[in-house]
This record gives sequence, structure tokens and C-alpha cells, in this order.
Amino acid sequence: MNVPEMPQMPRAQTIYGAIVYWVTILSCLICMIGPVISVASPDNNVLDPYKLFNAIFEGKDAETVWEEVGGDFPGGHFYLKHLTYGDGFTQLGLALGCSVALWALIAAAISYAADKIYFYTALSLWVAGLVALSMVGIVGMH
Amino acid sequence: MQKLFRSPWLEVNVMLTVMIISCVALALITASAETQPGEMSGGALWGWLFGFFFLSFAIALVAVIGGIGGGVLFTPFMLAFTPVDSLIVRATGLIVAMFSGLISTGPFMKGGLANLRICVFCAAAYGVGAFAGAQGAIYVAEHLGQTGEGLVRLALGVILFSLAVYFLVGGKKIEWPEVKKVDGFTQWLKLSQPYYEVSLNKVIDYPLTRAGWVVLAIIGVGLLSGFFGLGAGWAIVPAQNVIMAVPLKVAAANSGVLLGMGDCIGVWPYLLMGAIIPIFAAPWLVGQVLGGLLGALILIRVKAGFVRYLLIGFMFFACFGLLTKGLGMLGIIGAVPAWLNGLIFIVIFAGVTRSIIKFTRSGS
Repeated sequence: MNVPEMPQMPRAQTIYGAIVYWVTILSCLICMIGPVISVASPDNNVLDPYKLFNAIFEGKDAETVWEEVGGDFPGGHFYLKHLTYGDGFTQLGLALGCSVALWALIAAAISYAADKIYFYTALSLWVAGLVALSMVGIVGMH
Repeated sequence: MQKLFRSPWLEVNVMLTVMIISCVALALITASAETQPGEMSGGALWGWLFGFFFLSFAIALVAVIGGIGGGVLFTPFMLAFTPVDSLIVRATGLIVAMFSGLISTGPFMKGGLANLRICVFCAAAYGVGAFAGAQGAIYVAEHLGQTGEGLVRLALGVILFSLAVYFLVGGKKIEWPEVKKVDGFTQWLKLSQPYYEVSLNKVIDYPLTRAGWVVLAIIGVGLLSGFFGLGAGWAIVPAQNVIMAVPLKVAAANSGVLLGMGDCIGVWPYLLMGAIIPIFAAPWLVGQVLGGLLGALILIRVKAGFVRYLLIGFMFFACFGLLTKGLGMLGIIGAVPAWLNGLIFIVIFAGVTRSIIKFTRSGS
């Protein structure tokens, strides 16, 4: 079977894809290891995993779960202060994965700018800006 | 054998190895754990963590091949069959919806099945629409209440039903849309990008049209997505395919990329308010990444017709949910029991399976 010549993909596209792909895999690996640390030393958590699932399956809302199991919600970026905690480490994985479009879009914008494709540079920065504003709590979609 | 040590199988194998080690470690730790009264037993905790991962893995496989977010499957089922708080379900549903899209981004971008220009172009519009939609939701909740939401859901159900029927009768025109005239604005955007279509063994160059209209449509989709907190893959695929004439497989791949990109904006309010609970969400994320990656590797090899039947099935099921929910909110019918939802799902997907088998046998 003859395979036709493969079309060359634009640099911005391959860079965007590669960053999203590898950061997502890193985020996944962190989220695989995090629960093991969490269960291995329940005291080394903001939320004790053995108490957490009961509270969730009792239908309690998020605020109550954090209050009853962890004392209080320490904020979405709590992993920055509790990186050695099981759930802190897991939250790092979640945060990394949930911000991946920001890093990838910045790189794609740089690549578009280098290729003098300014319209898509601006669009990439616009979407990256929305992600950044959402991360600091200014823009929320849902 | 060498294939297993090359990308993407290398990372799949690394992740599977870490996953198996983690599962064994978790099993050993939880088996020897001494728990206090009121705490969950170690075995049950392991069972839930592993069960969530396995379910998420299965959802991701189906979702990526269907070109939709897994949230469309996850959220209704979790709300129907578990007592978990709806906000926690919605927030975790967004993780489910976005991570299968994120992991499929790499292979789709590298192979050219997805098109970054179309994705960024649509994401810019989607972001504006979704932000406005979220503000609209607050307004409607404060002023129109249940009636307003019921009417909008009914309208959405009718639109979705029309699109599903159009997909059913549209045939190959939809899989490979024909473009008779490319308008000036679309030409200026330079959105088209040839790619190698594995199933046809040829390079496909697809002309596009009506990009201006797709901006309006995606803003509309974003408005609805932001308004209801729904995933939007079911609407993004037909919007690209029907309006802009993006080939169906490309539209499905773009939808996954776009969901991953757009939901990076939508997920943070949930993270910042504590609705995403790390140990609860982690197995869902892991299942989505592993299932999403395998789904993406399969999608590159399957023919477009297979995706079309899955998509039509998902659209009819979502349509049933929207119509019954809308009628329920207007007080016309009562709550739909979980068994009826399950029965409708089984009936629709029996039809989908039959169509896929028929399609596969016909070899078209």
C-alpha cells in the first residue's frame, strides 16, 4: 500500500499539542501517586481520606465536607503550602492539569508571533488571558 | 515489541505500570489499615478509588470516540444513582469532560486531525459566550426562576433533536461536507489545513466556509454552556460540521481539544471554592487520561461513520434529558425515574450498536 506524503503541521500546533500532552501525563502521574501518600499517612492530609468518602456519600455539600473533615477550606491553591500532604500533592496534579491550556497557549502565541501570524497570536493570548483570570478567581464560566 | 517502547505506547505503558503499582500499594495499605468507628473501612476505600478509576476509563473511551465530553455521561449518571452533592458531581464532571479532551489533544495535533487555528478561533468566541452565559444564569435565577430555565431547556432539546435528525438523514454530505463557495472572511482566516486520513490512506484538504456565522453559533453554544454548566461537545461538533463544513472526524477531534482548552477557564471557580475534592476527583482524572489516550489512538484509525452513529445516539439521549427536564421544570410532568432514563439509554444505544454493526458489515 502506498502511503502519500504527510502534510507538515504548523509549528504552533505541534508545540501546543506537545505541551498539553506531556503536562497532562505529568498531572495524571501525580494524581496516581497522591492518593497512595494520602491513604498511607491519613494524618498527613488536609482531609482524612477514611472520613472523607463517608461524608461525600452522605450527600453533604462541599463546604460542609471541608468543614467537618478538614476543619475549614484552605483555598483552591492550598497545595502551595501543603505540598508534602497526600491531598496537597494530588491538588498540585489537578491544578497543573487545569492550567495546562495557559502554558500551551502562551507557547503557541510565541510560535505564531515568530511566524508573523499576528491574528492567531492575539487570539491565543486572549484565550490564555481568560484562563489566567479564571485561575486568580476573576473570570468564571460556570 | 519495539512499538511498545516508542511514543505513544511508551507513556501508556509507564502510566499503566505506575497505575498498577499504585493500585497494589493502595490495596496493601488499606488492607492493613485500622479504622475508627465512623470511618470508611480500608477495603471499601480501595474499592471506591479503583471503581471510580475503572468507570472513568470506560467513559473516556466512549466519550473520545464520540467526540463529546465524558461529563455528558458522568454527570447524569452520578446524579441519578448516587447521593453525592450536585455541586461536587458537576465540578468532578468538568474534570471528566476536560481531561479526555486534554490527553487526546497531543495525538490529534501531531497527526493534524485537529486544527489549532479552528480551536483557538472557536475558543475565543466560546470564552466570551460562556462568560456572558454565566452572568445570564445569575440574572435568570434571580428574576425568572424555574419557568425561564424550563423554557430554555425545552428550546435546546428541540434544536438538538433537529440536529440529530439532520445528522441521521444527512449521510455522507455531513461526514465530508461539500463547499460550493468560500467567503472572503473565511479565506482571510486561512483556517484550512490538510491532514493525512489514515482510514482512507490519502491526504484530505478541506475547504471551509461561513466562519463568521460559526463565531455567532459558538458564542451561542458558549452562552448555553455557561448558562447551564453543561459540557458543549454535543453542540460544538455540529456547529463546526453543519455551518463551517468541517469534516466530521476533524470536528470531533477539534471538539475534544476545544473542551480541554475552554474548560481550563470553567474549572477554576470550582477548584477555588473547594467543590473539586482532590482524592475524590483524582481517580476520575486518571481514568480519563488513560481512557482518553487509548480512545484517541483508536479514533485515528476508525472510519467517520462509526463516530457519526455514536454521536447521533448521544444527541438523542441528551435531547430526551433536556425535554423531560424542561417539561418537569414547567410542572407539566413529574421527575423522570432513573430506570426510565436507563431504559431510554439502553434502547437508543441498542439502535446505535445495530447501526454500527450494519455499517461495519457493509464496509462503507
